[in-house]
Amino acid sequence: MGAYLVKRFLLMFPTLLGVALVTFLLIRVIPGDVVELRYSGDRGAVSQEVIDQERARIGLDQPVWKQLGTWLIGMAKLDFGTSMWTGAPIWDEIRLRFALSLQVAIMATIVAVLLALPLGVLAALKQDTWIDYAVRIFSIAGLAVPSFWLGIMFILVLLIVFKWLPPMVYTPFWVDPWANMQQLIWPALAVGYRYSAVATRMTRSAMLEVLREDYIRTARAKGLWQSLLLRRHALKNAMLPVMTVVGVEFAFLIGGLVVTEQVFNLNGLGLLFVQAVSHRDYTLIQALVMLVAGIFIVMNFLLDVAFAWLDPRVRYA
Amino acid sequence: MYNRIRMLFMLATSMVMAAAWPALAQDKPRPGGELVFAVPSEPPSYDGHQEETFGLIHPVAPHYNTLLRVDPSDKTGTKPVGDLAESWTVSSDQKTYTFRLRRGVKFHDGADMSSRDVKASYDKILNPPAGVKSLRKAAYQAVEAIETPDAHTIVFRLKWPESSFLLNLSSPWNFIYKADTLAKDPRWYEKNINGTGPFTFVEHVKGSHWVGKKNASYWDKGKPYLDGYRAVFITSSSAQVAAVRGERAHIQFRGFTPADRDSLVKALDSKIAVQESPWDCVLMVAMHHEKKPFNDKRFRRALTLALDRYTASKNLSRIAIVRDVAGIQVPGTPWATPPEDLEKLAGYGKDIKAARAEARQLLKEAGVPEGYAFTFKNRGIPQPYEPLGIWLIDQWKQIGLNVKQEIVEASAYHPMLKRGDFEAAMDFQCGFIVEPDLDIARFLTNSDANYGKHQDKVIDELYVKQARATSPDERRKVLREFEKRLLDEEVHVLYTLQWHRIIPHSAKVKGWTITPSHYLNNQLDTVWLAQ
Repeated sequence: MGAYLVKRFLLMFPTLLGVALVTFLLIRVIPGDVVELRYSGDRGAVSQEVIDQERARIGLDQPVWKQLGTWLIGMAKLDFGTSMWTGAPIWDEIRLRFALSLQVAIMATIVAVLLALPLGVLAALKQDTWIDYAVRIFSIAGLAVPSFWLGIMFILVLLIVFKWLPPMVYTPFWVDPWANMQQLIWPALAVGYRYSAVATRMTRSAMLEVLREDYIRTARAKGLWQSLLLRRHALKNAMLPVMTVVGVEFAFLIGGLVVTEQVFNLNGLGLLFVQAVSHRDYTLIQALVMLVAGIFIVMNFLLDVAFAWLDPRVRYA
Repeated sequence: MYNRIRMLFMLATSMVMAAAWPALAQDKPRPGGELVFAVPSEPPSYDGHQEETFGLIHPVAPHYNTLLRVDPSDKTGTKPVGDLAESWTVSSDQKTYTFRLRRGVKFHDGADMSSRDVKASYDKILNPPAGVKSLRKAAYQAVEAIETPDAHTIVFRLKWPESSFLLNLSSPWNFIYKADTLAKDPRWYEKNINGTGPFTFVEHVKGSHWVGKKNASYWDKGKPYLDGYRAVFITSSSAQVAAVRGERAHIQFRGFTPADRDSLVKALDSKIAVQESPWDCVLMVAMHHEKKPFNDKRFRRALTLALDRYTASKNLSRIAIVRDVAGIQVPGTPWATPPEDLEKLAGYGKDIKAARAEARQLLKEAGVPEGYAFTFKNRGIPQPYEPLGIWLIDQWKQIGLNVKQEIVEASAYHPMLKRGDFEAAMDFQCGFIVEPDLDIARFLTNSDANYGKHQDKVIDELYVKQARATSPDERRKVLREFEKRLLDEEVHVLYTLQWHRIIPHSAKVKGWTITPSHYLNNQLDTVWLAQ
């Protein structure tokens, strides 16, 4: 088990380095330049002198290999530098947004898990009954409806029916839990519904597969209570693929709620990502990609650890 | 008898006053309240001298004063009035401007403001120290020297008379900073705020909001009326509309589309007020003068003759933020082209059939065959680029041209223009004050914004002539010559339609007047909130 974990842990570093190199090179291929964008403004008439001066100041006049070297050395020291657009330290740009995105991701995961587990298990147990059909319709609708569209519907209903709109400014939970919930519950529900649809279908199919296994039939033949059988033998084994889905979706939510964040005017990482790309803010894009990649890699690592713990076949393989 | 008449008169007067009281009370500024407004973008830094986005002006301007400002009650946005300057005189040769500064003005840190601060601020704009940028340095080339004979007088000496000088000093970007701070660190104002303006800085939460509170020791006694303001950064236009509709924001100072205006009016009825104005922004078509057949002025003239601007004005103004047919200046402002002059320019006549017949003839003479194809590059921004792009292509089709539109992502657009990587492309211009010197300098041969790369000494000479004209009539005459040369004789660019600024806002917002520029009138000292 220990050797397995060490091997998995060490594999994270070459993966991160690969992501860093690909990101660094790809964003420089896209046309556009942070300096031109910042100073062209609405009049589009900035002088070349100003542009050259600013490019030199932020190091864009340096050869690409030198820029890459400086960035990799900084990253090794966990120093991501400053934003090319605002001049502020990258961590300052990310910190507040990260807290919001993390909270939405956690809330959406709670919504998804609370819906997916009972519904998925119920649908599997009542396969091909009206209950199963209802759950399947509910989950297919969740897959078909984009969460940003559901978000827009929430906004419209709240505005037109209740003449109310969620707050436009984020208040941290520890400052004012009520204001915080008023703003974040809606995106959490909108995103959580789609997320639950994926998890519900996975739970149902995994449960169906497990329920057909010989050891379940044996346990039933021995007269084991249904609830005990479900909890101890079926659900635990069916959870492996569900955990993968939940873990990957959770990581995705940290930086992937671009449109939903726009709909609810959430100051999250997704929106910051879009702004960074549209500003061609290389340092910020690189830092955000590394952050999201890091979250995915760590999440995968944790899932592998959990698998090894839950399924001995993994750690002995 | 006399007493009875007097009593009756007093009673009648009282009744009239009582009836009129609610209206009078509404018109009288009411102190208190927090103005909440949406801002579609965010300031990259806090230094107005080196930024170019309204995302800075809207939240930051209330912290500062400028030497002069544009009259906040003037709808044309072209009348300079004193801000820190109490009064001024201009010498008879129009080369010396002497400003008397207000007394008792303090920075938010408590320090007194003097002419030294004004000079230091203008020195930074005109001759920025190493490592500091100034985007509007070129607008002050006429300035020879700035002198401070005493603590409350500042003198600008010019090399030549310049018609636009007072308006240039009213620039909303030219915040007055503290001289001592600039001497210690000329880049301090990029990340900090310390002005003399009506509101002091409270906080800026990146990506979220900006808060200012009333400056209790503001020099203009009784102002500001508001207790404070909160600028909320909202990038999505639908979320901005929702914020106003849900009464989470009172106003958004840049502008909404006609559809947004209509939906807000329908939803909020008497709770919403709408102000509209021609906007000092315009989309033009840049034509690359070094590429065939755009190097032939007959071809360029045919392109402008094909455009039915008046019909477009009626139809496009329903769906896009454009409306007026105009020349090189915003309609309704002092240097605007009178309609009778405008109609004489190619492509501005009312007889579109005749214009298009002439266009076809010109194409024939230029050797451009029927169905000739070229690519028109457009910026990937919905309003008003997309509808105007589609309209242009349709209009050119009417004279037998086959035009393909290529949308270039907004971030890559400006570099594309600068590289000259186009045959015809949408070009854009938004001014911060309606003033010919600022709006038409881009058409000079050596301008960085002369993307079509035309070379025209006549244009260059006319520009200088209008800028140095000492009488308004003379300047007007030269401007008309410039316009004729630019849009008719040489057709270096094509103007489409003037943008139209629409600001639907909460009916509670009072004391704010729309102007043609979304960079103006954001100091908020005159704004108040009704009950």
